[in-house]
Amino acid sequence: MAEPAITHRARIVPRGEQALAAVTVLAIVGLVVVPLTRLTWVAVGGGGSSIMRVLRAPGFGTAAAHSLELAVLVPLLAVPLGTGIALLLRRPDVPGRGGLRVLVVLPLLIPQFVLGYSWTQAYGRAGFTDDLVGVRWTGLNGPAGIVVVLVVDAAPICYLLNTVGLATRAQPQLELAARASGATGWTALRTVTLPLLRPVLAAEFVLTFVATLESFAAPQVLGTPVGYSTVTTRLYTDLAFGSDPNSFRDAVTLALGLVLVAAVILVPADLVLAPRLGSRRTRQSPGGTALRRRSAGTAIMAGLVGAYAAFAVLLPTIALVAAALTRAIGLAPTPSNWTFDNFRAALDAPTRSAFAHSLQLAVLAAFALTLLGAVLAALERHRPGRLLGTVAMLSFAVPGSALAVGLLIAYDRRLGGTLTLILLAYLAKFWALAHRTVSGAVDRLPAGEWQAARTSGAGPIAAVRTVWLPALAPALIGAWLLVFVSALHEVTMSSLLYSTGSETIAVAVLNSQELGSIGTTAALSVTLTAVLLAVVAPAWLLLRLTARRRDIPAARRRELAHAY
Amino acid sequence: MPTETEETMRCVGLQVSYGGVPAVDDLDLTVRPGEVLAVLGASGSGKSTLLHAVAGLVQPSSGEIWLGGRLVATARRSTPPERRDVGLVFQDFALWPHLSAVDTVAYPLRRAGRNRHDARTVAQRLLDQLDIGHLAERRPAELSGGQQQRVGLARALARSPRLFLLDEPTAHLDTHLRAAFQSCVRDRQAATGAAAVYATHDAGEALALADRVALVVDGRLQQVATPEVVYAEPVSVATAVLTGSCTVLQARVAVAPRGGLSVDLGDGPVIVDGGGSLEVDPVQARVLLRPDWVSVDGPLRGRVTTCQFRGTHTDYLLDTGSGPVHVQAPGPPTHAVGQALTWGIRRAWVLGVDEPDVREAVGPQPSAVIAPG
Repeated sequence: MAEPAITHRARIVPRGEQALAAVTVLAIVGLVVVPLTRLTWVAVGGGGSSIMRVLRAPGFGTAAAHSLELAVLVPLLAVPLGTGIALLLRRPDVPGRGGLRVLVVLPLLIPQFVLGYSWTQAYGRAGFTDDLVGVRWTGLNGPAGIVVVLVVDAAPICYLLNTVGLATRAQPQLELAARASGATGWTALRTVTLPLLRPVLAAEFVLTFVATLESFAAPQVLGTPVGYSTVTTRLYTDLAFGSDPNSFRDAVTLALGLVLVAAVILVPADLVLAPRLGSRRTRQSPGGTALRRRSAGTAIMAGLVGAYAAFAVLLPTIALVAAALTRAIGLAPTPSNWTFDNFRAALDAPTRSAFAHSLQLAVLAAFALTLLGAVLAALERHRPGRLLGTVAMLSFAVPGSALAVGLLIAYDRRLGGTLTLILLAYLAKFWALAHRTVSGAVDRLPAGEWQAARTSGAGPIAAVRTVWLPALAPALIGAWLLVFVSALHEVTMSSLLYSTGSETIAVAVLNSQELGSIGTTAALSVTLTAVLLAVVAPAWLLLRLTARRRDIPAARRRELAHAY
Repeated sequence: MPTETEETMRCVGLQVSYGGVPAVDDLDLTVRPGEVLAVLGASGSGKSTLLHAVAGLVQPSSGEIWLGGRLVATARRSTPPERRDVGLVFQDFALWPHLSAVDTVAYPLRRAGRNRHDARTVAQRLLDQLDIGHLAERRPAELSGGQQQRVGLARALARSPRLFLLDEPTAHLDTHLRAAFQSCVRDRQAATGAAAVYATHDAGEALALADRVALVVDGRLQQVATPEVVYAEPVSVATAVLTGSCTVLQARVAVAPRGGLSVDLGDGPVIVDGGGSLEVDPVQARVLLRPDWVSVDGPLRGRVTTCQFRGTHTDYLLDTGSGPVHVQAPGPPTHAVGQALTWGIRRAWVLGVDEPDVREAVGPQPSAVIAPG
């Protein structure tokens, strides 16, 4: 670990760290640089003719237009939704705030393809509402449905980013100062809170744009059955079903195109936003609370958020569970028609091994990346390390489909169709998630704590163990969880990289859904979500406990509330 | 409850709770036009909560708040802060990171309907008056603590309210900035003729600034009086401690036949100035002594336990037969630690019926001496 620079000015980078840096560089080159170079090589190797063929291919223009239209519409809806919910749930006087907070972030646990599928079960033809009250939404299969599902999928992230942004940039105190200066609630929001939040909102917009651009599950589940294709679903079709060698090259060109579009959006956005995203905290007291005035409006808005959560998350989940439990399609989901046959059918030997593969991959990736993320965060304390951090960050922006194609080209001969190749894909894609989580916590470590430990007689290792590790524990657990959940959710890369014997559970669900077996798909989806919940819920509790230990004790908090 | 003489502010039976725990309880307080009222209490005593309730940032759980003869808050309804005629200065400044000083001060003027140019002109003038006109285009991050606090004050001034609420405005300032800010507040308040409620935990600040001082302990109002009275005639140990260092001793007291008090600490009675609650047990009364009410040299005997030179004066802690006594003597030290000396009492104050919770905290042991804060 790094020592304060002053004590080791002679050695800029200690020797142990040089070895770590070498490993990190090798990993990044192997995981990201080689695949992307090979991808570019193959795409350009085809010459201009290949690019022109892709551009002129029937349906390409439509697919590209569809991708762009989704990528613009989804952030336009998801960012305001997440912002509104975060602003409302920040108020301490909202009835049922704790429950609403959980409900709003719940979709984070539900994989996008399960969410999309549960919506068809809830609101589609022969869905839950169709059975019960004869209401169905015909637009669900198609662009409107994809947009809505992607918005529900993206809103929790926007909500969480806003919550953090509000806490660090737009403290309630600042809004109170506006109110005490004669501003109405809306004016205070318009003139103080939203301007302070602007960089966060812009970052959310870019993030959602890129995530939508590379989204595959929702367009595949809701769009493909009605012939609505995007670049990612087209790429999947080219690779999975295209027999002609040209289709492989087409897929490669499409993948490179995706990388370029993502880069064109991200690089300038990063240049503009990154300096503005540093917290500009002036001196603030720790106990800032929002305005405390009872009003009917708050209850109504809380009701709206509750209705959103019920409509977007709860009802589809119930519909999914009902579909999984009901004996046959068309039967009412009443106890007399309940059966576990779907689960029995779903959990046959191949899916059980798919489950085992996924858990194996997710656990391995989570441990490996928590470690690699921590290593990279430590390396970043020196100048050369920062470049590595940036490269890892960029790898997250590379659309999954492109990364998968790149890995396929680079390593297919030795690792084709193995779980190892899928693991490499996960490592490349999710490294940034773990790294950002840990390095954020490292940045927040007060230098004084380390120095106090050293001057109190702790050696470097003892200081890491006694001062840093307790402080970083929540971030490390958080990074582990983030990678674990993302790996179990992953379908874009897995669906391109698997072969017989190396299916992941997400691929199994997708395949079962394509075969049209509703009960089995629902049962698999329910099982997958339950597994996620079973791992994440205890880990989340652990996280809360470790985080609370460093938090202000309850008694002191009450005191502060009084002082307020 | 309509008021006959229009008080600028009146709280009636005010209670404010957070999650069922009252932070301010059963509080009655009035502020007259043009008056400066200091609310003095330890941190966590509910001063800020009181100010925030008056400003409309929290709603009372019971009681009433009146501003200028208008009922603005009850447990049922509450006039929003923007429609109350008050200007609030925050303890931690609460300046907007995205606005320059001049835009911050122009903000309340803009909300009051002035156009941008007008508002900025007035704001610039206010900043000039507070000697920070040259910093008008800076953002909070580019200002020092004292400068930030002046911007905060200018923002409150810009509303030209009938009542200023200052929530520990000097808590984060250095001593010399504090004095400058205090005189600045006093000048501006005198110039505008508005009333002010000034919350602070600093006794010196409260006594120096205020026309009247309100002493708050655990969310309850203990005493409201002029600075001289709250210092000389405290109603309890808890309030005495708020206004400065003091010593409490057990003594036999009586009203002296020719005026003053007869105080007997065991060495025989001494006649001193003072008064207090004389209806208590005259044999076991609690007598409060301020360091400036006692002197080195006199009829009583003691020994020096600690001696600290403070520049303008010297603080001695004496071990006397009846307990430790804090003495403030002018000039440099004249007695060394361990040395025996004599001492005298010029004035004493007899405390009323005891306050069980406080007596424990202050106790008969040396903790009875509370160092000057």
